[in-house]
Amino acid sequence: MTTSTSLIYLIALPLAGAAILLLGGRRTNKWGHLLGTAMSASSFGVGLYQLMLMLDRPTEQRPITQKLFEWIHVGDFQVDAGLLLDQLSICFVLLITGVGTLIHIYSISYMSEDKDRRRFFAYLNLFIAAMLLLVLGDSYLSLYVGWEGVGLASYLLIGFWNQKPAYATASKKAFVMNRVGDMGLSFAIMIAFATMGTVSFVGVQEQVNNTSEAALTAMGIMLLVAAAGKSAQFPLQAWLGDAMAGPTPVSALIHAATMVTAGVYLITRSNFVFDAAPTAQLVVVIVGAITLMFGAVIGTAKDDIKKALAASTMSQIGYMTLAAGLGPVGYAFAIMHLLTHGFFKAGMFLGAGSVMHGMNDEVNMRKYGALRKFMPITFVTFGLGYLAILGVPPFAGFYSKDLIIETAFDAGGAKGIILGITTLIGASITAFYMTRVMILTFTGTKRWDDDAHPHESPWLMWLPMAILAIGSVSSGYLLSRGDALENWLHPLFNHSDEYQKHLIEPIVVSAMALTMVSIGVAIAYFKYARREVPSVAPEDVSIFTKVARQDLMQDRFNEAVFMRPGQALTTTLVAADEAVVDGAVRGVGQVAMGSGSALRGLQNGYVRSYAAMILVGAIALIGAIWVVVQ
Amino acid sequence: MTFTSPVLSYTLLSPILILLGGALIGVLVEAFASKARRPVIQLTLSLGTLLLALMQLWRIRGEQSLTPAMGSLVFDGAAVLIQGSILIIAIISIFLIADTEHFTPLAAALPGSTEEREAAQAGNQVTEVYPLTLFAVSGMMIFPVATDLIMLFVALEVLSLPLYLMAGLSRRRRLASQESALKYFLLGSFASAFFLFGAAYLYGFAGSISFSGIQAAVVGGTGNDVLLLIGMSFLSIGLLFKVGAVPFHSWSPDVYQGAPTPITAFMAAATKVAAFGAMLRIYYTVFANAEWSWIPVISAIAIVSMILGSLVAIAQRDVKRMLAYSSIAHAGFLLSGIIALNKAGLDATIFYLFAYGVATVGGFAVVTLVRDSSGEVTDLNRWKGLGKRSPFAASAFALFLLAFAGIPLTSGFIGKFSIFSAAYENGATAVVITGVLSSAVAAFFYIRVIVLMFFTDAVEDGTAVEVPSILTRATVVISAVITLVLGIYPAPVLDFITDLAIFIR
Amino acid sequence: MLLPLAGAAIISALPKGNEKAAKQAALGTTLVVMAATIAMAVGFQRDNVELQFVEKYEWIPSFGINFSLGVDAIALVLILMSTILAPIVVLAGWDEAHGGRWSVKTFYILILVLETMMIGVFAATDLFLFYVIFEAMLIPVYFLIGGYGTGERAAAAVKFLLYSLFGGLMMLASIIALYVMSGDQGGHTFDIDKLSQLQMSSTTQNLLFLGFFIAFAIKAPLWPFHTWLPDAAKSATPGTSVLLLGVLDKVGTFGMIRYCLTLFPEASKTFTPLIMVLAVISILYGAFLAIGAKDIKRLIAYTSISHFGFITLGIFAMTSQAQSGAILYMFNHGFSTAALFVVAGWMIARRGSSTIADFGGLQRVTPIMAWSFFIAGLSSLALPGLSSFVSEFLVLVGTFTRYPVHAIIATFGIVLAALYILIPVQKALHGPTTPGNENLKDLNLREKLVIAPVIAIIVVLGFYPSPLLNVINPAAKHVVSQMGFTDPAPTNGGK
Repeated sequence: MTTSTSLIYLIALPLAGAAILLLGGRRTNKWGHLLGTAMSASSFGVGLYQLMLMLDRPTEQRPITQKLFEWIHVGDFQVDAGLLLDQLSICFVLLITGVGTLIHIYSISYMSEDKDRRRFFAYLNLFIAAMLLLVLGDSYLSLYVGWEGVGLASYLLIGFWNQKPAYATASKKAFVMNRVGDMGLSFAIMIAFATMGTVSFVGVQEQVNNTSEAALTAMGIMLLVAAAGKSAQFPLQAWLGDAMAGPTPVSALIHAATMVTAGVYLITRSNFVFDAAPTAQLVVVIVGAITLMFGAVIGTAKDDIKKALAASTMSQIGYMTLAAGLGPVGYAFAIMHLLTHGFFKAGMFLGAGSVMHGMNDEVNMRKYGALRKFMPITFVTFGLGYLAILGVPPFAGFYSKDLIIETAFDAGGAKGIILGITTLIGASITAFYMTRVMILTFTGTKRWDDDAHPHESPWLMWLPMAILAIGSVSSGYLLSRGDALENWLHPLFNHSDEYQKHLIEPIVVSAMALTMVSIGVAIAYFKYARREVPSVAPEDVSIFTKVARQDLMQDRFNEAVFMRPGQALTTTLVAADEAVVDGAVRGVGQVAMGSGSALRGLQNGYVRSYAAMILVGAIALIGAIWVVVQ
Repeated sequence: MTFTSPVLSYTLLSPILILLGGALIGVLVEAFASKARRPVIQLTLSLGTLLLALMQLWRIRGEQSLTPAMGSLVFDGAAVLIQGSILIIAIISIFLIADTEHFTPLAAALPGSTEEREAAQAGNQVTEVYPLTLFAVSGMMIFPVATDLIMLFVALEVLSLPLYLMAGLSRRRRLASQESALKYFLLGSFASAFFLFGAAYLYGFAGSISFSGIQAAVVGGTGNDVLLLIGMSFLSIGLLFKVGAVPFHSWSPDVYQGAPTPITAFMAAATKVAAFGAMLRIYYTVFANAEWSWIPVISAIAIVSMILGSLVAIAQRDVKRMLAYSSIAHAGFLLSGIIALNKAGLDATIFYLFAYGVATVGGFAVVTLVRDSSGEVTDLNRWKGLGKRSPFAASAFALFLLAFAGIPLTSGFIGKFSIFSAAYENGATAVVITGVLSSAVAAFFYIRVIVLMFFTDAVEDGTAVEVPSILTRATVVISAVITLVLGIYPAPVLDFITDLAIFIR
Repeated sequence: MLLPLAGAAIISALPKGNEKAAKQAALGTTLVVMAATIAMAVGFQRDNVELQFVEKYEWIPSFGINFSLGVDAIALVLILMSTILAPIVVLAGWDEAHGGRWSVKTFYILILVLETMMIGVFAATDLFLFYVIFEAMLIPVYFLIGGYGTGERAAAAVKFLLYSLFGGLMMLASIIALYVMSGDQGGHTFDIDKLSQLQMSSTTQNLLFLGFFIAFAIKAPLWPFHTWLPDAAKSATPGTSVLLLGVLDKVGTFGMIRYCLTLFPEASKTFTPLIMVLAVISILYGAFLAIGAKDIKRLIAYTSISHFGFITLGIFAMTSQAQSGAILYMFNHGFSTAALFVVAGWMIARRGSSTIADFGGLQRVTPIMAWSFFIAGLSSLALPGLSSFVSEFLVLVGTFTRYPVHAIIATFGIVLAALYILIPVQKALHGPTTPGNENLKDLNLREKLVIAPVIAIIVVLGFYPSPLLNVINPAAKHVVSQMGFTDPAPTNGGK
């Protein structure tokens, strides 16, 4: 594989930015945000440059690596800090740095009020660097570093306003649940080393063939656990909703476009493992399907615009996971949906941000309404994103999502049917809740408080939104034209190259999809546009809605099953440590003292008893000797 | 019937003779010198005597003879070492005794009687204590070199009787002091009786009172074992009583507490050395070949002593009593040296005796410093915060305690280590384990005292630390230095002992 | 090794009143020592597993005792750690001696004496010498805790001393046995190499092993011998705590490698299953108690118990990865704990309370201090990119290849770690600024100078541990192979 020396700059630039801003402290307040943006942008530039180079190279030479330094060499455990840039990672590099840069720009204005803006940009840079390391690492271990790095950045950014206890808790929750996922990742690495004696992507790929399926399945499932933690997939999804505590640009970048898709990256990156472990693949599909529905359902009941979008993100990633679980055919589509989703979801989040910006940080959609007139640009960009996610042709989502639905059906047999139906229903529910969001926010009558003076956001904010909107419109078409992306990624996945016959004609699938979508839209329309929307959430709602508002009891479940027992265990152990472990020791001391003062009684001060004691001793002595003699 | 005139090799006996002479002169001084000058004269006299004896001993250290005095004494390397230790300990104790504050002005007077008061006003001092000490010392010197039962008994009495007296000389709490003296006397005589009884049986067994004779009988296996055993055990009782091993220890707490502290120091240190010196000789030579019979018993006694000593010490609230119990525990440790019954054991025991003796004198020396208006304060609770009042006294005492506890870098550790390894070598595993465990227990109360002194705030009850007189200070410093040196670089002393320590038969 | 002692002498020579001079002298000495050690480390031949820089003098010939020093990679690494930590401690606790019972001067004398012993205990190649220092070390620590600590300092000091003494005496019994056996088998000696060639029945070996192991398990401390640590750590001054947890406790794990394994290979194997379980228990148990801890110093102490669980796990897993991990862990733990304690100490000094609940919102008031604490915490929860991660992961991977189950259970520790670090971080640094904290001062220059190098070490070693690893590696391999183990091959037979 050809080696390069310039990959490091991708990471080094934003990292330097973060370092300067954090160490520089207040001194850098003035120009901190500019530096941060510049760093991210220049990293994007390097990314583009690398893409050019890669395009010039013949297919088989496209992946390039860079060995930085020897990291951990212990016995057979040989890991170097190295980077790998191939067709897959370049997509992510561009997505991360591209969207990242836009969001930097957006934040310049969005955070202008905040006195800690410099720190915010430092964190953003840190995140970009970590995320790039994640997708560029050439071994599971270097990926791990980025993996936890983004976790840290996300923790810092969610808790950016940690003076609010709820936010601090949210950030902690996110980190801990991610850690559960990370545990999965470390297990996967251990298995890899124990069975194959290597942890680099290349090494594992070589070894896959002569490794037992059991081991691979175990490894695959552990990788899935990791992915679930990072990508808020079932059953580790609970943190994403609360993560919306972070500033909206963060939600857009980390919790919509990039970090949460890391799980999908991990699965596609490990395609060789999953291809060899059908069971693991099946589990992936199931998890994807469940999450897809799970998120969608939650989305229908949320009045907080960001939480609604978060739920939708969860559900969309469910789509990707599902696709990735469908094997070679699916990977490319997963990535494609990931990219398009990156555009439209980020765009919508920024839109939400701009709405909040105009509505002095009100997030409850029931207090919006009729904002179309006041913030037209936001409305348009958001609307485009909306059409994209619905999958209305020719918008981005249409291409990516339909492909997934097709592949789902193509899985064949009962599996195919079930998955297909699920994806379809999912699509319809998506349509429902997104329409709901649109209607509640932009149309209908104004329901906002009197002190709100909605206004359009400054250009620094709407420009990124516009660019992303363009992306949401065009990306799908561009990527799928002549299966561009599919062919681009093709060399990485071991396709069975013969032509895949679709069980159902694509056109049919599209038709079904569109019908489902329009049903969803219709319901939402009649439910919200035709009726007056109460500005406080009605209590007399179906149990279904109630449960959905409760995030389908996910938190209740976690509390009941993990938190409370955990706390109970902790308290008991603390008590036990005092009483039992320490107590035992103290007990010994007590005994010693007790016996001491008891024996002290012998010393009563009377000569006669002393003499008696001696006499007794003497007799005992004789007795003893007697015994010895016999 | 013809008398063979006794052949005495005076050089080898000279240390003992010097002491006896000094003691006699002391008596004369009591008789003729004027009250005022007595203390000075006595002090210089006894100090001089001791030093002279020591120098003499050093000059003849190489010699050895089975018949320095017609075969009833012996002189060999071990003797040099033990006698040397006794002398050194005696010297540093003399410094303490010199502090007359401790002694009653008129021993004969009833406590609280007018005579006593007058004597006190007259500034009388009991300078008899010096010759008494010298007599005791000479007894101690003879005890470990005696090689026949009669001489052994005589030595025992010569060393005991003065101690009985001296125990009663305390200035404060005279009643307690006299009571203790009486107890010591009564129980002592009781033990002596056993001793004599045992001697008689041994004579019955071997038909000889000389060690060599008895030993020959033991080796030869001729003679009635029952007699041997009874004799042996009764003899042992006498000795075990002196070293204060359980169950013959009962006198020691009361006596240690009642006796004037300098005497306690002298008694606790020197007597142990002498008595163990004698035991070593007897068990290593005379009874060596009967080990099958006595090793188990002595082991048992050692174990019980260690345990009881350490446990009961925890419960003590009086410094002197605590030290008494710790000395009981140490008797146990020392017995494990007897059990070892090998060269290593001999060396170890001698080293231990010396180290322990010195530390003990030092410890009690510090005790003499802690006083209030009515004399010494031995109640531990009133030792709180001593570290603040007098860092000197407190840290010295802490050092001695650490030595008793056997913490490395103090003489105590080297002693414990060598004596235990010697015992282990002879397969006395149980004894060693008990020893180690009881050291752990012992550490507990030594440390408690350190905590009292350093980490608890003082109670303002007039407990003060006497500015030590030069002599007392000297005692403390010398003991402390020896304790440290023996802990950090014991090699020279150990080698000296190893080269010298042998029993000739 | 003698340098710090000289320093101590200098200080004791100084006039009592002149506290500043004492401090400067102490700082100077420790810095010189550090320089000397680093020089030594540079001169160390990494691929030579034999002892290096050997010095040998007769001490007590009649017992075959020598005053012999020498270092292998393991000792070197630990000495390096100790000597780097020493100046940090001195500088960090610039004013902590003032609350003490005795003079500031005494404090620094004790510190320096302690440093001498720390070096000696790692460098000793004579069992007797090791034991002597092992025990004698207790005294200065005892006075440091009891004399300059806070709260129940006396009680804590006693508890510490009694625990350690008990362990020490257990070991003494074993040592005596070894000594006597060496006597029976050709000459009394305490030379570790010679002792390791002794012939002994497996029963004897097991018993003697226990004697040593209990002593080290108490030091380390391993569950269930740990209860002295939290009290001691809570009562000691931060500086003392650093030395206590950072260095002294390492003597325990160091001893396990140097003495338990080399002297009693068979017994070690016999007891490995038991020890592995204890280690895993320690990991989780310590973590849970840390989560439940209300006092910040106790919390750090409990986290250490968890970390020592990892170290022990690594030592007995008997793979070169785990072994190297464990040794590296000892080094790293020294610094992450140091950072935590030092910063915690400053927080406590400013707030006048060590209860976590009394802090709050510090990140707003004192950003630098908050950040220092946060980074230290991250290192303690083994965040990839920080030093502890490398060691912890090596331990886990290495263990996994031979004891998968233990490794899996142990790995749950990393989730708990996230909790026990982030909970205090949230309570103390985040949230609204609690009353009483509004105008706490942020770190001053001296404090920055202290924390900066520590954090630097943590970060650099996180990304580039090779310099250290390459030194540790051969030694670790040597230990493993001495024990007659080889790393398990990949189960798929490799390729």
